[in-house]
Amino acid sequence: MSEYDVINSRLSRLDTPDKATGRALFIDDISFSNMLYGAILQSPLPHAGIINIDTSAAEKLPGVKAVITAKDVGTVKYGVSPARYDETLFCQDKVRYVGDEIAAVAAVDQATAQEAVSLIKVDYEELPAVLSVEEALAEGAPQLHAEYPGNYTAQVHQEFGDVKAGFEICDLIKSSTFVNKRQDAAFIEPPGCVAVFDLHGALTLYSSTQVPHYVQRTVAMVTGLPVGKVRVLKPYVGGGFGIKASANANELAACFLSMKTGRPVKMNLSREQVFKLCRARHQFLHKMTTGVKKDGTLVSLEHECYLDGGAYSSFGIATVYYAGSLLGGPYKLQNMKYDGYRVYNNKPPCGAQRGHGGVAARAAWEQQLDMIAEELGMDPFDLRLKNMMQAGDVTCNDLNMSSLGMEECLQTVQDGSEWKKKKGRLPKGKGIGMACGFFVSGAGYPIYRSDTYHCTAIVKLAEDGGLAQVYTASAEIGQGSDTAFGMIAAEALGVPLSDVRVMSGDTDMGVDLGAYSSRQTLMTGHAVKEAAEDVKHQVLEVLSKELSVPVQDMSIKKGRVVFHRQEPDFSELRTRYIKEHRGWTDNPKDEPLTFREASRIAYLARGSIVGTGKYKPHELGGKYKGAAVGTSPAYGCSAQVVEVEVDLETGQIRIEKMTDAHDCGLAINKTSVEGQMEGSLSMGLGEAMFEEVKFDARGRVINADLAEYKIPTAVDMPPIETIVVESNEPNGPFGAKEVGEGAIMPTIPAILNAVYDAVGVRIFELPLTPERIYTAVQDYHERQKAS
Amino acid sequence: MLLPKFEYDEPRSIEEACETLRTFGETVKPLAGGTDLMVNMKKGVVRPSRVLSLKKLKTCNRIEKLDATIRIGACTLVAELIQNQVIADTLPALQAGAKALGSPLIRNLATIGGNICSARPAADLPPALLVYGARVVLHSQQGPRTVLLKDFFKGPGQTVLRGDELLTAIELDRPPANSGAGYLNLGIRKVQDIDIINGAAYLALNPRDGTIEKVRVALGAVAPTPIRASLAEQALQGQKPSQDLFVQAGQAAQQDCTPITDFRGGAAYRKAMTSVLVRRVLETALKQIEK
Amino acid sequence: MKRIIHIRVNEQEYELAVEPNLTLADLLRDELGLTGTKKGCEMGDCGSCTVILDGRNVNSCLILAIQANGSSVQTIEGLETEAGLHPLQQAFVEKGAIQCGFCSSGMILSGKTLLDSNPNPGEQEIREAISGNLCRCTGYQKIVEAVADAGSDYQKGQGGE
Ligand SMILES: Cc1cc2nc3c(=O)[nH]c(=O)nc-3n(C[C@H](O)[C@H](O)[C@H](O)COP(=O)(O)OP(=O)(O)OC[C@H]3O[C@@H](n4cnc5c(N)ncnc54)[C@H](O)[C@@H]3O)c2cc1C
Ligand code: FES
Ligand code: FES
Repeated sequence: MSEYDVINSRLSRLDTPDKATGRALFIDDISFSNMLYGAILQSPLPHAGIINIDTSAAEKLPGVKAVITAKDVGTVKYGVSPARYDETLFCQDKVRYVGDEIAAVAAVDQATAQEAVSLIKVDYEELPAVLSVEEALAEGAPQLHAEYPGNYTAQVHQEFGDVKAGFEICDLIKSSTFVNKRQDAAFIEPPGCVAVFDLHGALTLYSSTQVPHYVQRTVAMVTGLPVGKVRVLKPYVGGGFGIKASANANELAACFLSMKTGRPVKMNLSREQVFKLCRARHQFLHKMTTGVKKDGTLVSLEHECYLDGGAYSSFGIATVYYAGSLLGGPYKLQNMKYDGYRVYNNKPPCGAQRGHGGVAARAAWEQQLDMIAEELGMDPFDLRLKNMMQAGDVTCNDLNMSSLGMEECLQTVQDGSEWKKKKGRLPKGKGIGMACGFFVSGAGYPIYRSDTYHCTAIVKLAEDGGLAQVYTASAEIGQGSDTAFGMIAAEALGVPLSDVRVMSGDTDMGVDLGAYSSRQTLMTGHAVKEAAEDVKHQVLEVLSKELSVPVQDMSIKKGRVVFHRQEPDFSELRTRYIKEHRGWTDNPKDEPLTFREASRIAYLARGSIVGTGKYKPHELGGKYKGAAVGTSPAYGCSAQVVEVEVDLETGQIRIEKMTDAHDCGLAINKTSVEGQMEGSLSMGLGEAMFEEVKFDARGRVINADLAEYKIPTAVDMPPIETIVVESNEPNGPFGAKEVGEGAIMPTIPAILNAVYDAVGVRIFELPLTPERIYTAVQDYHERQKAS
Repeated sequence: MLLPKFEYDEPRSIEEACETLRTFGETVKPLAGGTDLMVNMKKGVVRPSRVLSLKKLKTCNRIEKLDATIRIGACTLVAELIQNQVIADTLPALQAGAKALGSPLIRNLATIGGNICSARPAADLPPALLVYGARVVLHSQQGPRTVLLKDFFKGPGQTVLRGDELLTAIELDRPPANSGAGYLNLGIRKVQDIDIINGAAYLALNPRDGTIEKVRVALGAVAPTPIRASLAEQALQGQKPSQDLFVQAGQAAQQDCTPITDFRGGAAYRKAMTSVLVRRVLETALKQIEK
Repeated sequence: MKRIIHIRVNEQEYELAVEPNLTLADLLRDELGLTGTKKGCEMGDCGSCTVILDGRNVNSCLILAIQANGSSVQTIEGLETEAGLHPLQQAFVEKGAIQCGFCSSGMILSGKTLLDSNPNPGEQEIREAISGNLCRCTGYQKIVEAVADAGSDYQKGQGGE
């Protein structure tokens, strides 16, 4: 039995009845009277100078209310990280990828807006384009940004310990190279927004974003409006996975169009435009060399990585840091060297996607660790257990594993999958593989340098008593954060979840950096807990005065006031409450003093009872350059076993079963934790098996739809067994930490290791299409024959 | 995603439909399930100024079991091909093709006629239809004409169908007792996939000596149109079925195909898979006879 | 040119004037305000626009509204009864089968067409029945469990219309 009344349970989510019945409003379900529709003109060329833009025909089209270009909106640079603001809303003199924004139109309906866009005439001067890392880094290559020479967005060079000296004491040194492919987040809801500029000069932007706060700042910065006059609201959002974690051109264009026309403007992206927007997982090329001792002790890791970045930075700087820093654990490793390069080219910009920066690196390394285990004659589990960090350990790059249920994760997946019965005993064509991973529980620092709180929360009691309203600016994007915060507030306040209402996703409610880097449960959770405790304390203070009972001798539990010592006579309070509720049929009678009464009495004494909470991480480790990326107040970790069957004649892989254990600290809502694990696994499976955004020689996406960009269907997913491992995270609210992103970490390498077990050939490139498997097996046999 | 503007007709008879086709020529497009046409119109690949819905052509969505033949109306839903008992009992390879097509949602809209007329090289129904020796009935104002399906396809999206013609039915001879057929496809995902390769085989055995009396092998996605694999068929004709023979036929089939490399798959892989698929689908066909 | 159509949506008759190029999805969302039907791709690939048209679950983004003349359509809004949520809706809520919820309308309607004809489907049958409905959030695990669960309710006679 849990010691808690609300959290650590399987309560149904607050938002799902609305979502199950079609009531829940998503961005495209929101309309305003007199609303205009926006459309955007995007470059058809990967790299070109703009000679002239002629909007006259578009402007003349009946029904068109505004046409805007860089001339109208200026060229304020924006982006994700202030260190690399390299985008302007519209291109002025040059386009850098197929999809780069040039102009936007607002018209009375969508058809007119689209027609108007097609009437804008742009004269281009085509420039040579670079479409890969190699082309971009070649000598004399065309340069994308004069400010960032060599087509490098960023370079990272780090060394912890002494890698070279480490190699010298190693018994086995293993090198391998690995490459994944550019992803698309493929959320089912394409992004959209509605901007409403009102008569008071204030702008309200409704957007399917995961970061209302950053969008608010960016909109204010680019439009020149004061931050206080920009309000960003997010309705229900159909998934984000990182791609909706920064302001996009659509949002900015809608704002300008609304400011210009004085009317609400709606802008939707089509599915094809989602692929042009991209901002999803990069293609990473990893070269790794790991040195170990005979007994399996990991000693040194030398690591080089190239990121195929696209035309702008987006999250790229953070990404290139994460790609290195997230290999610091969960194994004891003293020496680690990392050289990372994020490279511009004329493709849509990549950014952050679930497991930001670390997914391909993890896949590359966990596969290499399996190769090492095999060569040392060790079971893959034993190699990992041998090097496993324990709670309290600090990595060589200064990440503090304040809690770490890694060992329990390993044990439970080993047992849950019957690993020992299966490993090495499966018939040819069948295989079993495992891997581990860990991830930050919230970025330690905001994206812009600041001493800001990462989140604030307000809990307000209904004046009439009994109900608590929770306000945060956090982003419920499907992960269940509203429910988690409702549960945290209810627990901290001592009331059932049904007595809590949760409001979120509105910058008017405070500051919250949003849903990214697996941060909200820990961070917003802290703020909500503090606000609820504040409210509780205020109520108890009033009671204390009224009843002459010290505050510390009372608490609130399950909606009732609990007296730890003798119960005082509260009949006078009850009479007062009932007097104010003549005619009510549900007035309290013989029961103990209720929270409803107590909170009404508190209001009568003090006016509205409002509690506030806030959170920012304590001083975190790491004083070196780049230490801000990877440090976190806590780390989630996981282990996974995957079983596959490979058709050796065709190369087709069937994933038969996945067993996953994840340490999320204390699980606020166990069903939601499992949901995050299951979702992570399917995204990982998709990336491992099918997914790849492909381009033609002109830099255009060939497979910009969900037919040819293949995400897993229900038939492609095997049954998943999830095991929730609960450590107690000292830095988390009630001991909770992350699950949303970390759970994806072991999936790809576990599949790679299982496929190797099945076919006897290592694959170093994703996705694992039948053709790739077949060809690899063929090549291997050819080589065997030849030697 | 807006559709461009167009006029809409919903004729009640084949005659009426043919008249509209004749009057408006190339600017009109028949609309069956729309799973191909609507997508292409949204993408702007085809821009008809008039759309001719086949929804009201009642005679076109029946499956009829006649004495020696089975007649499938062109507007029969792909879902119906799965549910229909006649198809399940007599044309199992066609049922297998239908099961492999798209998703349950798509199969509730897509028609057999649309699958044939869209003439995609990787379409799921033509291989099975080809090995059953299907004929297609094409109607114009002049009346019907019947064409062998194997002569129907001209290239990707290209057929012998004239602008004033409608495909109204597919006719197949009822397979004899000692025959069997199968269909297999290979893709990246398990469902909702454009096949990298697909294929079907039909075998009829001589009841006396068990040799292969009649054989048809068809392949998709390895040539500009679905094709009959005649070299594979030659290798099988008159022989006694055996594992070795099927392997040989599979190898011969490689010479029948001229696959291309595109972003979905390489030519060499497609060629290699031809052998595997042909061998396997022959095994399926044989198993069916033995059942 | 607009044409008059007669269409029954969630048991209610409508007479509407529509342009031929209006899809059924847009008719439901924009003309009838039934925004529970979602549009994730508008190309038939994702299933978020699923409705039940004359008993069959279909992608409403690929159907012209005018083609639905004379037909009967059920959308997610038509599943609740006075007794409350439909067993499938209830099971989706209780099992945690909904995350972002963008796929949920379609999933539930595809689940319903399955259970209406087969209230006791196996796991594989459920997976196949929802294979045209993409979900990026859940990995389908809890959706499959929810459909199976609702199936047992159907058998206990609580389901159906
Ligand atoms: C998500 C999705 C998945 C798909 N998956 C598959 C798959 O796995 N396998 C596969 O084979 N296909 C697949 N398709 C393609 C398509 O669904 C099928 O080819 C389907 O059978 C087409 O039938 P339809 O009735 O919808 O054709 P429509 O779209 O109505 O018509 C297709 C073409 O044929 C013409 N036409 C239709 N009927 C006639 C007729 N009777 N006479 C003359 N011309 C006619 C039309 O004018 C049009 O040019 C998929 C499509 C989608 C959207
Ligand atoms: S919106 Fe209709 S299938 Fe995606
Ligand atoms: S719950 Fe988000 S797509 Fe299914």
